[in-house]
Amino acid sequence: MSTSVDQKKEVSTEVGDGAGGFAILFFLLGLVASLIVGWVAFPKLLYSQKNQPIDFNHELHIGLVDEGCESCHFFREDGTYSGVPKLEQCIGCHEEVQGQSKDEAVFVEQYVKPGREVPWFIYAKQPECVFFSHVAHVKAGGMDCVTCHGHIGESSSLKVYEENRITGYSRDIWGKNISGIKTNTYDRMKMDDCSECHVKKGVNQSSVQTGKGACFVCHK
Amino acid sequence: MNKEHNKAKKFGMVIDLDKCTGCGSCMVACMAENNVPFKADETNKLDSITWMRVYKLTNGKSFPDADFCYLPRPCMHCEGEHGHSPCVSVCPATATDYSHETGIVSQIYTRCFGCRYCMAACPYHARYFNWWDPVWPEGMEKSLNPNVSVRMRGIVEKCSFCYHRYQLAKEKAYYEDRREIEEQEYQTACTQACPAGAITFGDLNNPEHAVHELKKNPNAFRLLERLGTNPKVYYISSREWVRLAGDNYLRQEGKSEKN
Amino acid sequence: MKVSRRTFLSIGSFIVGGAAGTALSPLPWKLTDDLSIWTQNWPWTPKPERGDVSYVNSVCTLCPGGCGLSVRKVNDRAVKIEGMKGHPVNDGGICILGLSGLQLLYGPTRVKTPLKRVGERGQGKFKKISWDEALAEAAEKLGALRAEGKSHTVACISGSAGGTVPQLLKRLLTAYGSPNFMSVPTMQDAYAVTLKQMHGIDACPGFDVENADFVLSFGSGIIEGWGSPVRMFKANSAWQDKKIKVVQIESNKSNTAAKAAKWIPARPGSEGVLALGIAHVMLRDGLYKKEACDGAAGFEDFKKWVADNYAPENIAAATGIQKETVESLAKEFAAAASPIALCGRGQGRTPGSQYEFMAVHALNMLAGNINKAGGVQIIPEPKYIAWTEPELDEIAQKGTASPRIDGAGSETYPHAKSLLNRLPQAILTAEGASPVQALLISEANPCYTLSDTQAVKKAFAKIPFVVSFSSYMDESAQNADIILPNHACLERLEDVPTFAGLSKPVIGLSKPVIKPQFDTKHTGDAVIALAKALGDKIAAAFPWESYEACLKETLGDKWEILNEKCFVAAEENIEAPLQFFTQECKTVSAEGDEKQYPFVLMPYDSIRLANGFIGNTPFLTKTVPDTVLKKNEMLVAVNPKSACGDSLSLKEGRSVMLTTPKGSAKVRVHLSEEIMPGVIAVPRGLGHTAYDKYLAGKGVNCNELIGPAEDAGSGLDAVWGIRAKLSNVSI
Repeated sequence: MSTSVDQKKEVSTEVGDGAGGFAILFFLLGLVASLIVGWVAFPKLLYSQKNQPIDFNHELHIGLVDEGCESCHFFREDGTYSGVPKLEQCIGCHEEVQGQSKDEAVFVEQYVKPGREVPWFIYAKQPECVFFSHVAHVKAGGMDCVTCHGHIGESSSLKVYEENRITGYSRDIWGKNISGIKTNTYDRMKMDDCSECHVKKGVNQSSVQTGKGACFVCHK
Repeated sequence: MNKEHNKAKKFGMVIDLDKCTGCGSCMVACMAENNVPFKADETNKLDSITWMRVYKLTNGKSFPDADFCYLPRPCMHCEGEHGHSPCVSVCPATATDYSHETGIVSQIYTRCFGCRYCMAACPYHARYFNWWDPVWPEGMEKSLNPNVSVRMRGIVEKCSFCYHRYQLAKEKAYYEDRREIEEQEYQTACTQACPAGAITFGDLNNPEHAVHELKKNPNAFRLLERLGTNPKVYYISSREWVRLAGDNYLRQEGKSEKN
Repeated sequence: MKVSRRTFLSIGSFIVGGAAGTALSPLPWKLTDDLSIWTQNWPWTPKPERGDVSYVNSVCTLCPGGCGLSVRKVNDRAVKIEGMKGHPVNDGGICILGLSGLQLLYGPTRVKTPLKRVGERGQGKFKKISWDEALAEAAEKLGALRAEGKSHTVACISGSAGGTVPQLLKRLLTAYGSPNFMSVPTMQDAYAVTLKQMHGIDACPGFDVENADFVLSFGSGIIEGWGSPVRMFKANSAWQDKKIKVVQIESNKSNTAAKAAKWIPARPGSEGVLALGIAHVMLRDGLYKKEACDGAAGFEDFKKWVADNYAPENIAAATGIQKETVESLAKEFAAAASPIALCGRGQGRTPGSQYEFMAVHALNMLAGNINKAGGVQIIPEPKYIAWTEPELDEIAQKGTASPRIDGAGSETYPHAKSLLNRLPQAILTAEGASPVQALLISEANPCYTLSDTQAVKKAFAKIPFVVSFSSYMDESAQNADIILPNHACLERLEDVPTFAGLSKPVIGLSKPVIKPQFDTKHTGDAVIALAKALGDKIAAAFPWESYEACLKETLGDKWEILNEKCFVAAEENIEAPLQFFTQECKTVSAEGDEKQYPFVLMPYDSIRLANGFIGNTPFLTKTVPDTVLKKNEMLVAVNPKSACGDSLSLKEGRSVMLTTPKGSAKVRVHLSEEIMPGVIAVPRGLGHTAYDKYLAGKGVNCNELIGPAEDAGSGLDAVWGIRAKLSNVSI
């Protein structure tokens, strides 16, 4: 009996002596480790990195075309958006290899000649449940491309496409910042980001459930 | 009423039961347009997904006085006396919603978690649950329409008045620098396919749309009107027993409630 | 192991710190979001590819209706079939089968490559072979028969007789040396014989129903798919708008009867008698158009014959219709400005009694509506296929001169062009070797659609060599030795001459909407290749490089406009002198003894059940009510007041044995007040054994339960029912 009391005393003195320090140390260790995991390792693990099949130079092309982005990313006559150009549009100029770039040679040899579409990765691709109308934003809403897409049109090289291993979404939907904080309008493309602007502009705020945007404005 | 409210649309349908032949084109047009799945055995009608379903009403008389009438039933897109439909008010997931702008009851599949409260609440059996994952035989997935998302197991789906066609019509209008769409630019798949021309679709609020006049037909009625669901689908029948069948209650029910 | 307090605290602190750190990192929040998104996007849920939307116009070939189609494509996929706006047949409307056509195009029932049978006949065991091998084998077999002097033992069954593909098949047979080209008979054939006998000309009927102001239908399923279905739905709506009276004479309350202003439930099989009863009243009271009929050939004899034999009081027993009803019907019909009488039972996919057709047509003649607005239009057969006659060698001359196996055109059946219904019996009753040594089948499924399917299959078993051109693995393809699969509808180019009772027939052009999905070949090209392989004068009869070249040349100046609009108007009406008749044709009665079989079984057509060469699509079967099909069991409709003996009580859903002189099947009972007591209504279009899991094994094929009834007048199949009984299912 007495031994156990002694032991207890011993332990309690130990706590008094340095167990508190140990606890704080380990607390900090755990804190730092998990912060590193959460902020550094997790994003690395979450996203797979994929290079585009060809390193397209937007800057170069924008200087050669007449109508800016719409020269290649145009609206079809029914108002739908053509998105990433098809081979058909590229062939006009690229039937033969232009210039010295290695990517250009690959493009002509592997895609143009066999008539194979380029499997581009689309940074801004919205999921299947979303109906996004470019024409409503660009023509009716008067928005420019940069608001959502950033300055990709001025880039000379395509960035690495990062795909969320769990959802299959492009990283650009959540945004590069893993904490979801955005500084520019084009940093994130989640539903809340759409909604934020819709609330501001009073677009279809006709939902009975939420009093905000009705679901069928953007969903299908 | 403010100006904004006047602009609100109320899409609805008037179905002429005298013209409806029960051919089922509306059902298949809907299935083909909206990527509705199918199974090898679809004879259990409780789990057979048909956003648009043609019912057969009978007058209950004996041969040769027996008579019957077909009644196509899409979602009624109820507005309800309180401004919302029975299904919307019970949805705990905000997966189904009512928009004042179009009068359409929406269903967002990715939002739905399959509690099926809405199915219990809907007096028209217009909602269907996906008990299984949809399976298309190899190659047939090529016929799927990209404008409508394919649903998965465990969620509820229903008629959307082909809302995607409204979105597409608006895209075309915006492209042509218009804000408004024409009546013919937005028509549901069933309306378009009906070989008898029995279905008319349009904005019930717009006096220029055909439905605006048709709904005033003395033979027009709506299903279970006494429930106060304020449906947007009107039916026309010259036969009285059909009109009575549209408000088919148990005898002791609802008598006092009707003014 | 002893855990010291210090260790415990350290671990505890580490965990707490870790938890705090994790909470302060984006990990849990991002992970929650991603996992919930993951549950919304199962990888096995298809995500249809988006892309360029385009519309391609074509013409539907799934039924004889000839509707214009507008097919929506996304990139190179066809995603939706819609009706073509402005097309003279359907103007934007479309039927349930046409709508689900993509399920046939992309469906699992397609024959994907040429096949050669390896198992027993009908077992469905095939091996893939190349087109070269398949065509070489077929040509070798046909060549050998010809060398043996048996060219006349080769027969061909084609889904229709019109159009370049059936005509190429016919030409192949002629040049090869066989007279045995047969087409699947429909009410059009019965009408053709009627027009031949009552106007003395080869012509097709057109019905100007849009301009009629009184419609008297003798069992025609106006809204069940009769004629050109969509066009009839539209006409029905127009009648509703204009308050035009439709009177439906039919034993059961069909959809048409339910929509009609008046329904007269006449005894089944007595429709022709009733028509002559009406004629009797019109003639007696002078209610017919005298300027049209007086002086017409045989009119006085007809008048006397009808007066003597068809007084309303005398026919009441046969028809079950009161004298007063007949009187008032005749008066209403005659009083209308442009009345029209229609016949052709149900969808009109079977010919029917010649007597009935002629009696009904006599009503139209009495009403003076021949070639008048709102009446019957007499239209010449299409003439755009004007190829030079093939040069025949000695074998071909001898072969084509030999008598037809089905007896069509012989002294007994002078007016019939082909009598497919007589083929199975001709084969089964022949002594020694089968009179058909080789059979080609194109766009037809005789093993399913002909009456008495068991006998048909037995006859097929006796044919040593069967070639099918089917795009789908149907019952006949399953019973073939070699399958040379055709491109499916929407993959192939083809002319579609459309009559189907249109008042202004059209020639349509079915254009390919997508590239062929599999290793198939256009039947036109396969026929040309076969002819070339057979060589000499047979090859010379097919000078075209390809089917497309042949079609282009055949259509001549129509080619361009057809390519642009998909349709051109066919020929104008021709003059049609009236010829009345007096020959007593016998009513076709239901086979079987009345005492032993107290019921009459009648197949009924539904637009939701494709019952011909094309089988039901999954979407179509989905729309079939559970009062027709429940799991894999078929329900037959019976009136609860039907007398069926003491041993059996009729209950909804009850399993019973349905027996006819031709066979028996287990079915379930659906009690219906829409059916005449004593009649068993059986849906047509179920009971397939071939195709896929969405169609095979569901219900019973009604053709297995009924036998052909050869019409005394035309020789065509006039069966409309058979006697039957219901009994308890033996356990």
